[in-house]
Amino acid sequence: MRIEVVRSGGFAAIPRRATLDTAGRSDAALLESLARSALDSPGPARPPVPDGFGYVLTVDGREVRCADPGLTPAQRELITHVLHEGA
Amino acid sequence: MGVFCTIVPPHILDRLARSDDPELSGTARHTLEHDARQRTRRGLHAAIGPTAAPRAGTGPAEPAKGADQPQRTIYDAQHKDDLPGHEIRAEGAKASTDASVNRAYDGLGATFATYLTAYARHSIDGRGLPLNASVHYLKGYNNAFWNGEQMVFGDGDGRIFLDFTLPVDVIGHELTHGVTQFTANLDYQGQSGALNESVSDVFGSLIKQFTLQQTAEQADWLIGAGLLAPGIHGVALRSMKAPGTAYDDPHLGKDPQPGTMDGYVSGSDDNGGVHINSGIPNHAFYLTAAALGGHAWKQAGQIWYDTLTGGSLASNADFAGFAAATLAAAKARYGEGAQYQAVRAAWSTVGVTTAAAGSAELPRQQPGEQTQEA
Ligand SMILES: [Zn+2]
Repeated sequence: MRIEVVRSGGFAAIPRRATLDTAGRSDAALLESLARSALDSPGPARPPVPDGFGYVLTVDGREVRCADPGLTPAQRELITHVLHEGA
Repeated sequence: MGVFCTIVPPHILDRLARSDDPELSGTARHTLEHDARQRTRRGLHAAIGPTAAPRAGTGPAEPAKGADQPQRTIYDAQHKDDLPGHEIRAEGAKASTDASVNRAYDGLGATFATYLTAYARHSIDGRGLPLNASVHYLKGYNNAFWNGEQMVFGDGDGRIFLDFTLPVDVIGHELTHGVTQFTANLDYQGQSGALNESVSDVFGSLIKQFTLQQTAEQADWLIGAGLLAPGIHGVALRSMKAPGTAYDDPHLGKDPQPGTMDGYVSGSDDNGGVHINSGIPNHAFYLTAAALGGHAWKQAGQIWYDTLTGGSLASNADFAGFAAATLAAAKARYGEGAQYQAVRAAWSTVGVTTAAAGSAELPRQQPGEQTQEA
């Protein structure tokens, strides 16, 4: 499973983009489970909050958009795994 | 929902959300939309109490304006996603052992004092709204934001960013998003979004300048000075004096802000580049303040404050519409003298036309008068 996270916005507005492939990883089952949850529950649609991060998650070609502070726990955990940055 | 139903019934929130008054309807709408687990009894009262109760006829009339003292509460989110978190320091309580809590408390106080002293504004809604902030949001979180009701600060990851409570202009920036929400309510998208960002940078910087009692010449005109971790090549996140020069680092890239319309960036990321193109109106403010000299919050700041709160600025205003409104505000308050000329020259230098100046006249105001009250 190929998982991509693109982050934009934020007070500093430093863009971030990272991709991982779960093939051969010891935590593949966890990541794939998080990715499925992240896609299936996009969270409530809200207008953007000023300086909030916006994210685009793409999992094997399927895309979901989400934004702080309205991430689901699965989205939060997945983004933190992929970006390796406080999220 | 049980707790908050006892304070304001949902149908009143519904009615407020449909109200013609943008301040009321915006707040109520937001409150309705907001996730219930992020709401506390205090937070809800903060969000709609003072304005909603008299209108809805369900409570005693509150004074039109708040007291001359802030009503601050700082919470610890304990590195989790739940807001506001645990209350650590309420108004008047002694200092915490947590430096982030104390910086947030002091920064809220500096912001309240600047708006009150410079513009006779009582808190961010002009009616004494309690000020709430949460620190230690999530783990190593490289951001701070305004969620529509309160400020939220991350600790930074220590590698690129330090604690977001460190620069007072960051605190002032976030609270000014609240002021904008209660006044011009600029759409957070495209040029109006870049203006929303710029207004937060302008008053964030002015709050720092007021706190340090600096003149326009003495001020650094930086946003986020002291926020970058040691070893990162940069002085801050944005420079109003010299947009595009704040940082240049392998981890961050190069500061992408333009200072003039020649460098205007199109694109959909970051709500249409709101943190990039804000460099253009930021620089126009700097040029106005530099031309007028002295304390920037007095004349240049007053003109921008009148523009934001005067009631004539459309929520989808573009740069030209905002520029025209600043000219009209300068003329209304100071006539067509040095202030008007400084504003006109500033917008011209950054490449924004103000030809439509006559279309956005503001009512004449007296110094210190509250202008945004509904
Ligand atoms: Zn902002």
